[in-house]
Amino acid sequence: MTAKTLVNSKLVCVALNDKAQLAALEATFNEAPYNKPPTQPVLYYKPRNTWSTEGAVVEWAKDFDGNDAAEMAVGASLGVVIGKETCRVSAEEALDYVSGYTIVADYSLPEQNYYRPDIKGKCLDTSAPVGPEVVATGKVANPDALTVTINVNGEHKSAFDLATMERSVAELISIISRIMTLQTGEIIAVGFAGNRVAVNKGDKVEASIKGVGTLNNTLGGA
Amino acid sequence: MRHARIILDGRELDINIDANDQLTTTGGEALDVALNSEKITWLPPVKQPGTIFALGLNYADHATELAFEPPKEPLVFIKHANTLTGHKQVSYRPDGIEYQHYECELVAVIGKTGKNIKREDALDYVAGYTVCNDFAIRDYLENYYRPNLRVKSRDSLLPMGPWIVDTADLPDANNLRLLTEVNGKITQDGSTKDMIFDIPFLIEYLSKIMTLNPGDMIATGTPHGVADMQPGDTVVCSIENVCSLETKIVSEQQYYGDNY
Repeated sequence: MTAKTLVNSKLVCVALNDKAQLAALEATFNEAPYNKPPTQPVLYYKPRNTWSTEGAVVEWAKDFDGNDAAEMAVGASLGVVIGKETCRVSAEEALDYVSGYTIVADYSLPEQNYYRPDIKGKCLDTSAPVGPEVVATGKVANPDALTVTINVNGEHKSAFDLATMERSVAELISIISRIMTLQTGEIIAVGFAGNRVAVNKGDKVEASIKGVGTLNNTLGGA
Repeated sequence: MRHARIILDGRELDINIDANDQLTTTGGEALDVALNSEKITWLPPVKQPGTIFALGLNYADHATELAFEPPKEPLVFIKHANTLTGHKQVSYRPDGIEYQHYECELVAVIGKTGKNIKREDALDYVAGYTVCNDFAIRDYLENYYRPNLRVKSRDSLLPMGPWIVDTADLPDANNLRLLTEVNGKITQDGSTKDMIFDIPFLIEYLSKIMTLNPGDMIATGTPHGVADMQPGDTVVCSIENVCSLETKIVSEQQYYGDNY
């Protein structure tokens, strides 16, 4: 847990919100153990031990024998910062409850399975840098029109147009606020490109959204 | 010693409860109130709740009840503090569902920061134990990060308390009777000895993945004997030598009031 994290209390992430990824996995999701595609947003928490900041080193994961993990991956998302208590709001009013936007990077073991909560893959210490700052909502005309890009060591690796999300920012806030009341400063990472980017020890990663900023982090273990 | 958080006469208090059921604030003020007084409003006992880990299918008989093979590795999911509520408070039943069940569980409350904690040292990291009722809405289960947040992360659906018992006062947490009563009738009668993965194992396992911090909690799963709950029902989850946790079920509309 990093003292300077921008997250207050809760960081909720939305998996499988990339339409292209859902289409590519449709056959898989009609087989066991899934049996049918998800009907609701697929959510997970990055708990407080994962929270980190702009410029921080992200620890390289260890396996259960204490050896360095073979592979890690990164995804990046728009982070929607809640501005006031948000309980059971409609999609039409949802954006009124947002105070600003930031970037969430989700470092993890490669996503291999969505059947069980991925505690081993997703809950690694320092694996959720958030930043570099919170940009006020007035500076972002339409959050669903943004593009999230990832560069590794200066090389472009991924671009995700939020217009291709299965569910929009407002829809997600509405649905999540009917599961759990959201509080000021809590953050929702609304969607990641289906193809996570493989990273190596020592890599320098930039996650960027035009108008929101660039979040810089370095992988440890080198 | 037992530790709790209460509201009494409009004051939010951190209290200790001694062997004679005398309540004293952590500041040393003796309170002239009986432990079972209706004047006490019980808050969730962990003052600054951190990450809440919960176990699925951690009792072989409950796994069988749900038609699952007992797991070879812990099935862990995470809940957030929005789910917490205290003893003698309400939890809600969502509208239009078929099946909501209680889960009486022993909770280990982490008291010290640690990573890569060895099994034999694990209890040094436990501040104490309490009881929770980890409600589930079975209608909302989907096979993605199952049990998913819609099932397990809802407001009010993790009553906990009323108090935390110091680790030193409970030398063997692995042999405690666990009892649930619905409207006065016993519906669940098990023992923590039937846990598949015990608390030291779980602390070693989780701390290999991540740092555990004070205020984190591990809810260790529930045995056989779950039943549906309806508004108006009262459920009491008890674990021997720890505490008894009472919860009343209300409708979604009653719970959310103006926000409904």
